[in-house]
Formats: sequence, C-alpha cells, structure tokens
Amino acid sequence: MSELFAPKRTGVARWLPWALGGAVILVAVLFPFLVDRPRFWLPNIGVRTIWLGIIAMSLVFLNRYVGLLSLAQVTVAGVSAYGVGVMMVTFEQPFVLAALVGLVAGTLAGFLIALIAARTKAIYFLMITLAIGQVFYSWASQAIEVTNARRGLAPVLKPDFGFLNLNDITSFYYFVLVIGILCYVLCRYAASSTFGLTLQGVRDSPDRMRALGYNVNAYRIAATTFAAFIASVGGIVLVLDRAQVDPDVVSLGSTLDVLVVAVIGGVGSLGGVFAGALVLTLLSNFAQNLTDRYMTLTGLVFIIVLLFAPAGLAGIGKQVKGLIARRRTPRHDAPQQDPSADQSAEHAITEGKQQ
Amino acid sequence: MDQFLLIALNGLTLAGVYFLVASGLTLIFGLMRVITMAHGTSYLLGGYLGYVIARETGNWFLGAIGGAILVGLLGLLIHQVLIRRFQDDDMRVALITLGVSLIGTDLMLAVFGGTATQVPVPGDVQVASVSIPFIGPYPLLRLLVLLIAVVVGVALTLFITRTRFGSVVRAGVDDSQMTAATGVNVRVVFAIIFVLGSALAGLAGVVGGTLFPLLPGQDGVYLLYSLVVVIVGGMGSITGAAIGAVLVGLVSQFSLVYAPTYSLVLTFALMVVVLAVRPQGIMGRAV
Repeated sequence: MSELFAPKRTGVARWLPWALGGAVILVAVLFPFLVDRPRFWLPNIGVRTIWLGIIAMSLVFLNRYVGLLSLAQVTVAGVSAYGVGVMMVTFEQPFVLAALVGLVAGTLAGFLIALIAARTKAIYFLMITLAIGQVFYSWASQAIEVTNARRGLAPVLKPDFGFLNLNDITSFYYFVLVIGILCYVLCRYAASSTFGLTLQGVRDSPDRMRALGYNVNAYRIAATTFAAFIASVGGIVLVLDRAQVDPDVVSLGSTLDVLVVAVIGGVGSLGGVFAGALVLTLLSNFAQNLTDRYMTLTGLVFIIVLLFAPAGLAGIGKQVKGLIARRRTPRHDAPQQDPSADQSAEHAITEGKQQ
Repeated sequence: MDQFLLIALNGLTLAGVYFLVASGLTLIFGLMRVITMAHGTSYLLGGYLGYVIARETGNWFLGAIGGAILVGLLGLLIHQVLIRRFQDDDMRVALITLGVSLIGTDLMLAVFGGTATQVPVPGDVQVASVSIPFIGPYPLLRLLVLLIAVVVGVALTLFITRTRFGSVVRAGVDDSQMTAATGVNVRVVFAIIFVLGSALAGLAGVVGGTLFPLLPGQDGVYLLYSLVVVIVGGMGSITGAAIGAVLVGLVSQFSLVYAPTYSLVLTFALMVVVLAVRPQGIMGRAV
C-alpha cells in the first residue's frame, strides 16, 4: 500500500498528478480574476477552503502515515487561534509575536494530546481525541477570564506588513494560498523523508519496528506533534479570517466539518482535502438557497461518500479505472488485473490501521 | 457532612442516567467491536419521543416504553442499512454513525425546536420527597431514576449471565467466528444486540429527560459522557459501565460544587488517570 512498493508509474499515470497539481495551482492563482464578485468569493470560498484544507490535511497526514484518525485537530487549531486571540486582544501584542505564540501553543497542545492518546490505538484513539476536543470546547465556553467564554475574543485585526497589507482581500487571499501550498509541500516532504518512511513502517508493523530498535511510541508522538503544527498554522489563518475566536471554532460541529472535508476529499490523499474543502464551502454557501437543512445535506453527502467512495474524490479516478478494467477483461484473468485499484479504495480508511 | 452526602447522592442519581446511556454503548461494542457515534442522538431522540408520547397520553411509562421501542426500531434500520455491510471495518462504522448523528442533530432541531423541554410526570411525583437520614428530604424522582438504573443493570447482567441467549452473546464476544461455526446465526444476534443497545439509549433519554432538560446539543454531551464512562469502565463490560458511571457521576457532581468551571476538565482528568494506569479501562480486557 505504501509508495515504497508501488510499481513504477508509466505514461499517463506519471504526468497526470503533476498536470493536475499544476492546473489546480493555476486556477487557484487566477481565482480572483475568474469570479464575478471577488469580495464574496475570496473570503467565503477561497480563504475558507484553504484553512479548512490545511486543518484537514493534518488529519489526513496522521491517518495516512501513522494510521491514527484524530478528531482533535480542530481543537489544536483552536488552541492556536486562542493563543493568537489572547496575545492580540488581551495583551495587545503585534501579530507576528501572537502568531508565534499561537503556533507554539497549538503544537504543544498536540504534543500533550499525543502523550495521552498515543497509548491507545484505532477506535480508542478516535474516541479519546473526540473526548479531548469536547472537553476543551466546554472549558473554552466557560473560562471567562481566559477565553471570554461564549463571547470570544475580538477583534483580531489583520496586520499590515507595509509591503503586504492583509486587509486587502486579494493580498490576504494570496498570502493564505502561499501558506497552504507551503503546508502541503512540508507534509509531502515529511512523508518522503526518512522520518516519514519510518512512520509508515511503524504503521504497518509496529512489532517489527520495535524489534529493529525503533521507539515506536516516540515516533507516534512526534508525528502527532508535527500534524499539530500544521493544524496550528491552519488555526492562525482561521483566526485572521474570522477576525475573532470563540468556542464555535472548537465545537463538535467544526470537528465534524473538518472530518467531512477529509472524508470527501479522501482520507488517504494530502491534496484531495482541498477538493473536499471546496465542496463543503460551496455547500455551506449555496445550499442555504435551496434548503434550510444544510447540515442534513452535508451529513447525507458524508455518508454517501463513505458508503460508495471511501477513498473520497481523490480515489474516484482509481475506482472508475478499476471498474472499467473489470468490465473489459474476461472473468478468468480478472484477479491479475490490478486488484489493488478498487481494493485500496475499499480500505482507504483502514489502510493505515495499526496491527 | 450533610452536604457531602447530598452531593454523593446527587452523583449517584446522575450516574444512573449515565449508566443507562453507556450500557447500550458498551453492550454494542462488547459484541460487535464497533462504536456507534449516533448514541447521543438515540438518547436525545428517545427523550423527545418519550416527551411527545407522555404529553399526549399522560402516562410516563408509555412514554418510556414508546421512546425505547421507537429508537430501537430506528437502530434496527441503521444497523441493517448502514452498519451490517461494514461489520469488520470499525473505523468506517464510527464515521458513518457520526454522519447519522450530524443529520439527527439537524432534523431534531427542525422538528422539536431549540427550546428546552422536559418529559412530564404526574404532579405529585414531581414534587414528592422522601426523608433520608443525615440528608433530610430528597426528591423522590431522583431516587426513582436510580432505582430504574439499578433494575436495568441487574436485569442486563442476569440476561447476559443466566439466559441461553446471553450465553450465545458471551460466546460471540469471545469469538464470533467460532460461535457462527457452531450453528448460531451471529448476524441475527448482532442485530438484536444493536437494537437492544439503541433502545437502552432511548430509554435513558426518557429517564434523563425527566430529570434534566432536553435541548439541542445534549446529544453531543451524552455521547461524550457515555464515551468517557465506557473508556473509564472498560469497553464491553456492563459492570465496568456501572463503575465508570458512578465514578464519572461522583466526580462531576463534586467538582460542580467545589470547582464549577473545571467540572468537565476534572471528569476528563479521571479518564486520563485511568488510561495512564489501565489503558483498557477498569474492567476492560487487554486487547
């Protein structure tokens, strides 16, 4: 399943990802000029898609390379957002310092969560991270002296760096886009480094890795901390976009939003999350014209994806290819026809489940 | 001292509600190895249904039974349509049921609105109190809730340990494949247990909705509490759920009095301590 053992890609399969990635970046760069009302599209669709994508990407990274499905990534992003909020609103510090504090706070929170939760596996990890997230939500909506309870911390003003004024929506969009791309590159780099390969080893066979002398738990904690850093970056973009931070940022609803993004985009694909995030932001902005029951619609889409395309949008191409291949080839040699195609889609969620 | 006992008793009655919710969850997990994240939704839906039935008929017991049966039937539908195919894929079941809870929350908000409601009981039961040594008058209603929880707990334990069906369930817990090989239709057993677990959540909703308000968001709260209870008590053990519920109930009531802001944080600290000492929970078996 891991890329290590994947057969050498040939022809279309080799250049398609690059072409697709290039096209996506091109569209993203031209986005402000492609839409009719940039003042609506840039913040509501563009920026929101990117920060949802960044947070969901940290979830996907953990799921794909460590085999842990964490529901606390939104909480980590929320800790980071609260860090920025406290520094800028309560202590009136400049943005750069606040962002640093936010990053450190979020990453540290992720580290602590990992210390507690890394002892557990699979479904337990899911439950414990969900519980941790809900506890933080409850604390954030009550601790009036730190988080200003339900009213939240406001206003978190976008900074003006002189050469770059983030209050200008187009500049802000490009600033966020660059951050999003950097996060993606960082995740890809981490995944292909020795560290990432070790993580996949730990995921596939913790016992063998232990026998080889690796400290399995330490690797899990390190990976969770790294993912927390990515989520914290997302949290900083989030707080700039919303201009405030309140308990809704870390509510169960937000947790589910990010999970929906990850699942629709594909829990095995780092890039797919942005497609998932786009689907969710479009749904949330336009479904309200059609129906009041936007949440129900989101839930239905979520379940349908889980039932029929468990590898998400990123896996649909493979699934279709698998279907066509099965149609074309006669029954008797069907097993030789790339059986991994639809199988990997089927097991996308549990692909990384620890043994 | 009086106050201490009063808080302890409050904690125990609260534990009664927690036990009712969590017992369904732990029963389902124990046999099927899947977690249903729609459990809080079952709780809230049961409460609302019980409220409607009790209001229309004026009979609390009809409300309780009706809520439990209807939620059980819904559980059967969810199990047959969404869960059965992915029996061996616990992660996907957890995610699908999270989707169900998302839809459930939204639809219940649409149907029952955002205002708090409470399951009605006859007026004289509502205000009646019993005198308890050292504590003084104590609401009868809360004691009745505790009684219901104890009765359900004992009945469940007897059902699992003393009946033929219970022994099939225990065999299924130990090794569902071997059980199937001996001629037991494990799929039917799974379905029955899922219905029973859902119905327990529905019953818990009616019982809990009699003591506490039913309102949007409670589904998430009770999902969280039942998760914490089964993590602390040990997944799959009825006794564990009882121990976990008592611990969580006591900790949350005492902290509400002595450190109100940190009530949930302390409950959570309890979970961390248990996980640090016994990752599988107090009564859980090592996995």
